[in-house]
Amino acid sequence: MAQSHLDELSPALKAVQKELTSKFGKKLLDTSVFRGELTFVVAPEDWVSVLTYCKESESLAFDRLDCLLGNHYPGRTDQPFEVAANLTSIPNTTRLRIKTQLAEGQSLATATGIWPSANFDERETWEMFGVVFEGHPNLERLLLIPEFKGFPLRKDFPLEGLVGGRIRTDLKGKL
Amino acid sequence: MSAPSQDQAPPAFTVLRPTLEELRDRKARTRQPVRDDREVLTVSMGPHHPSMHGVFRAVVDFDGEVVVAVRPEVGNLHRGVEKLAESLTYHQIIPLTDRLHYVASFAQNHGFCEAVEKLIGLEVPARARFIRTIAHEMTRISNHLLWLGIHIMDFGAITFQQICFREREYMMDMFEMLCGARLTHSFCRIGGVAKDLPDGFAERMRGALDFLPTRISEYERLIDQNRIFLKRAKDIGIFTSEDCAAWRVTGPALRAAGVERDLRRNEPYAAYPEIEFEVAVEYEADVYARYRVRMREMQESIKIIRQCLDNMPDGPILAKDAAHVMPRKKDVMRSAAAMVQDFMQVFVGPQVPAGEVYRSVETPHGELGFHVVSDGSPKPQRLHIATPCFFHCQATTPMWEGEMLADVVGIFGSVDVCLGSCDR
Repeated sequence: MAQSHLDELSPALKAVQKELTSKFGKKLLDTSVFRGELTFVVAPEDWVSVLTYCKESESLAFDRLDCLLGNHYPGRTDQPFEVAANLTSIPNTTRLRIKTQLAEGQSLATATGIWPSANFDERETWEMFGVVFEGHPNLERLLLIPEFKGFPLRKDFPLEGLVGGRIRTDLKGKL
Repeated sequence: MSAPSQDQAPPAFTVLRPTLEELRDRKARTRQPVRDDREVLTVSMGPHHPSMHGVFRAVVDFDGEVVVAVRPEVGNLHRGVEKLAESLTYHQIIPLTDRLHYVASFAQNHGFCEAVEKLIGLEVPARARFIRTIAHEMTRISNHLLWLGIHIMDFGAITFQQICFREREYMMDMFEMLCGARLTHSFCRIGGVAKDLPDGFAERMRGALDFLPTRISEYERLIDQNRIFLKRAKDIGIFTSEDCAAWRVTGPALRAAGVERDLRRNEPYAAYPEIEFEVAVEYEADVYARYRVRMREMQESIKIIRQCLDNMPDGPILAKDAAHVMPRKKDVMRSAAAMVQDFMQVFVGPQVPAGEVYRSVETPHGELGFHVVSDGSPKPQRLHIATPCFFHCQATTPMWEGEMLADVVGIFGSVDVCLGSCDR
């Protein structure tokens, strides 16, 4: 089924793509367009500078961070972790996604200096994936209890958890 | 009393709209200055506190009666929806989204289905889009009524909650008629809705819509002239548009700050592009403005439902797409093709393409976003839910600082937070 018309960019997003490509050039490691959404992949060291430019540039004006999330791809051996930021521009009503890929144990600079709303999102990403955000004011467990062990949204973390809540199978004949 | 002279023209009616600078100024004036040299009293509000709208805990430092610092603590209701979703097919996730926000559950179903449909590239039939719009606006009315009762209770009027629940009951009854459930609807499906409108739905709905506006104006008479409410709501909790953008505060709180952003208009979905409605915008950015936005939104929702009922198209309520859509149960027992389709959807799941989308819809609380990452299998590789309440809980820090203890409860109520949605 040909669905190429769904993947076309709107004129506003084409302008965004043009501006970011001319500004950052080779720093944008990958560009993808899917369902009318524009995604750029940048290196972890360019993370903050690209996000800052997206916010400060008057023509882009991505003044809001809609959400910041992590992801885990165990198949990618060198860079299994991914952090994505969904940006929104209220005046232009455009959206953009910036992603970066991280190795195990590699940290990322915090975006709380650009958007204070990144605070909870980064805490959640850290507790769920173990991605450390350098310079975050308070990188502690947010949704889980402080004593929680492990990073539950990693793919190797079992769905039923590590402790408690399991169905016991060693009770045969005892009940 | 002498009649006004004809040659003197009446003064033109002008709405005073404060600019961003004026609002910043007003915010600085209404907030108490925070001083470092004073001893603070640390108080833990919540998680079981009658004014906390759920199990939200805030550790607050007070200097006398003034809030110095806030540390919001969420997560008491964390159920691991995102982890759970990775082990379920897209059809099976729909009931989970109900439980995110149990007051506006259809809005959450709808948002998720819109996201999956965007991922698939699926077009929803016109009748299903109109039914979705009706259900979404019913959710908005029932949510705002519940919010209104609880919010006024925050200011000390206990009876008002009972009055609002009386009217909310009509919406609950309509939902029961529509899908059999009153709270957790699970009414949306990928590619359409679960059921067609039942017989007599339109008449009963029109009956409810006929008296709701009179009831809403009755509330407005009760509240808008209440000196206690006005004193405690006007110029309290000012949160300007730039604060909203920085802290991702959306929905009525954003529109109360003078920003005309409503995803029903800006990124249209369902039947909203074919329907005429106004986006309720207020400019004062305080607790009272948020209340006004919600009251006007209820009136708009009534108009939207009326238009949907009047222009309801005929046709199927599910898309014809065997690879992604669960067929209707009554067809499954009658046609072999539908039975095979049902079998494949239940045992294998929808065949979605690999890709990554972010879709957000305008729920009664704000913009609810679903970030779906698919690797081509029937289960999502990752589902992230950016709920408005998560960010509204976070925004208690800038909203409360410098305010008085007695106002904190009202300010928290005015942004409308549901902790089930926040903690996921």
